[in-house]
Amino acid sequence: MFEKILIANRGEIALRVLRACRLLGISAVVAYSEADRESLPVQLADEAICIGPADAKRSYLLAPAVISAALVTGCDAIHPGYGFLSEDEGFAEVVRAHGLTFIGPSPQVLERFASKEGSRRLLAGYGLPTIPGSNGLLRDDAHALDEAARIGFPVLIKPSAGGGGKGMRMVRTARELETALKICRSEARSAFGDDSLYLEKWLENNRHVEVQVAVDRYGHGVHLGERDCSVQRRHQKILEEAPTPALDAAARTDLCERALRAVVAAGYENVGTLEFLVDGAGDFYFIEINCRIQVEHPVTEMLTGIDLVTTQIRIAAGEPLTFTQADVAMRGHAIEFRINAEDPTADFRPQAGTVERFVVPGGPGIRMDSHLYAGYDVPPFYDSLLGKLIVWAHDRPTAIARARVALDELLIEGLTTNIAIHQAILSNDAFLEGRMTTNVLDRIGSAAFLAAASRP
Amino acid sequence: MADERRRTERRAAAARARDADGSARLADHAAIDRLAEDLLPALVAKLGASDLGEIEIREGAWKVRLRRTDGATDGPLHGRRSTDRPSRPQPGHAGHGHAPAAVESHRPAALRDGSSTLAAIGPGRPGSEPRRDPNRAVATSPAVGIFQPRPEMRPGTRVRAGDRLGFVDVLGVRQEVVSPVDGRVGATVVESGEAVEYGQELVRLELASAPAPAGDA
Repeated sequence: MFEKILIANRGEIALRVLRACRLLGISAVVAYSEADRESLPVQLADEAICIGPADAKRSYLLAPAVISAALVTGCDAIHPGYGFLSEDEGFAEVVRAHGLTFIGPSPQVLERFASKEGSRRLLAGYGLPTIPGSNGLLRDDAHALDEAARIGFPVLIKPSAGGGGKGMRMVRTARELETALKICRSEARSAFGDDSLYLEKWLENNRHVEVQVAVDRYGHGVHLGERDCSVQRRHQKILEEAPTPALDAAARTDLCERALRAVVAAGYENVGTLEFLVDGAGDFYFIEINCRIQVEHPVTEMLTGIDLVTTQIRIAAGEPLTFTQADVAMRGHAIEFRINAEDPTADFRPQAGTVERFVVPGGPGIRMDSHLYAGYDVPPFYDSLLGKLIVWAHDRPTAIARARVALDELLIEGLTTNIAIHQAILSNDAFLEGRMTTNVLDRIGSAAFLAAASRP
Repeated sequence: MADERRRTERRAAAARARDADGSARLADHAAIDRLAEDLLPALVAKLGASDLGEIEIREGAWKVRLRRTDGATDGPLHGRRSTDRPSRPQPGHAGHGHAPAAVESHRPAALRDGSSTLAAIGPGRPGSEPRRDPNRAVATSPAVGIFQPRPEMRPGTRVRAGDRLGFVDVLGVRQEVVSPVDGRVGATVVESGEAVEYGQELVRLELASAPAPAGDA
């Protein structure tokens, strides 16, 4: 096992990894930018080291700074969290070249799954259905146009690297394609340093369902069920739940087992998530694999009682899984609400400011993962996630009831948050009936969505 | 096996780089650990209960000075607040569970106060210049790595803005530490071969217009 881990991330996930280190008796060093000097993970860490200025390109995304910080503080491993360098196989390789362990899949495995387009082809070869899409990456606009015409509009432009909705656009006509490609290329380049794109056929009224897996270095793997992330706005997840209301128990098991078989056969290693699109008929298509811990991992932790971050660290340290599929029991229903510093009444514009009061809800089945504290200045430089409220209960209606109480209790004063949109979702019929699809929020528009919820 | 060997080599190399003057410093690890775990908490408590502004203690070749910082007690966790210099990376001296967190947090407080009379010039350090002294400046670290001052840069040496004072070694790549002003080299805050973080104060400078540093220089 590792002795000392450098946490190369910020916010709630830095805190989550810090807690996992404490649990395993590993010292933790938090690497931070100047903008995060006063952050909670920096205050709670065993050690903290400033790696650069606020600009992420010169701090959290700067591989030499992160690796140098790990070396001078005597760490033997680096936990990348999510985002930033978490899925950068080049970074993982340099980390290893310096005698350190990258907490995630090995560089060879990361490389195999680095390209979304390549992963689709690889896993399709192991029996996962995929959405019709472009034949390889787009070479230029003319190639994109040809491919889009072959697949048929509407199409979705997707970046080969990264995630989180950046560099992604749905295009309905050939006329819009060129402009959209330009925007996607520039977004992908600035977000991931890689502007390669591919196309997928756009299927309307879909659900986003993903399967959590954990595979050790010896080819033993388990799936930890699925999560439904259909509540999105502009391809950004804002609420996740499990089990998915879209599929019955038999269909869920089938999906999870096929996903696990395919990734184990393809040589995947460590925790990972396979994202699927589920259409109205219940057919599923593999979209991409995320080779890291995900924002919504607590949903699975609540259902299974398995700590995914310590599992990830143990696998990276070369330990075999200590449990089998038969040991994984999924109980009840869990919902996660992403609490963001953004204004739902003003097109979800990101907010920055000082947290004046912070009151965390409690009670049975309530968990709050957040790096906030009263007096904390939320810096404007990074994503707007303030924390995650996770609610568990024996069944979905009870989880929703508990969530209503918890969201009412959650108090963040000093800046505008998206709590209101979550309250609106909990009174939306499509959500209550388990019929939410990824386009609902964007189609209705957040203002109309909020207004509908406040109507008596 | 290969991984293990490489790791060991890497650790050894890092240790060599950190400790330019070698075993003398390693021999002090026991002393500094005792300082961190036994003496410092007691010292902090004593300082807190007293009217004293500053306490200094020596252990072996090591010296720790605690200085009271005004206004450093806001925030929810002021007992372990690590602000300006949350941790000066001193591998081997920390990482004993939670105890060092308390130590780390008080060491920076002393450092922060010590630096507050200096104008922080260097890569963007917004909001950290409470009392700007127009006659002084400081060269800060451009990166995380191992600091190597140029030997000819002794206290009193005249420098022009942009002159190289040393470099920070980042994975074998040298990043230059340059003087932000015309003036004279003052005290070097960080010793040769020490690990430094981004923005850390490395070399103090007396501006050309100021009188030559006397006494301590």
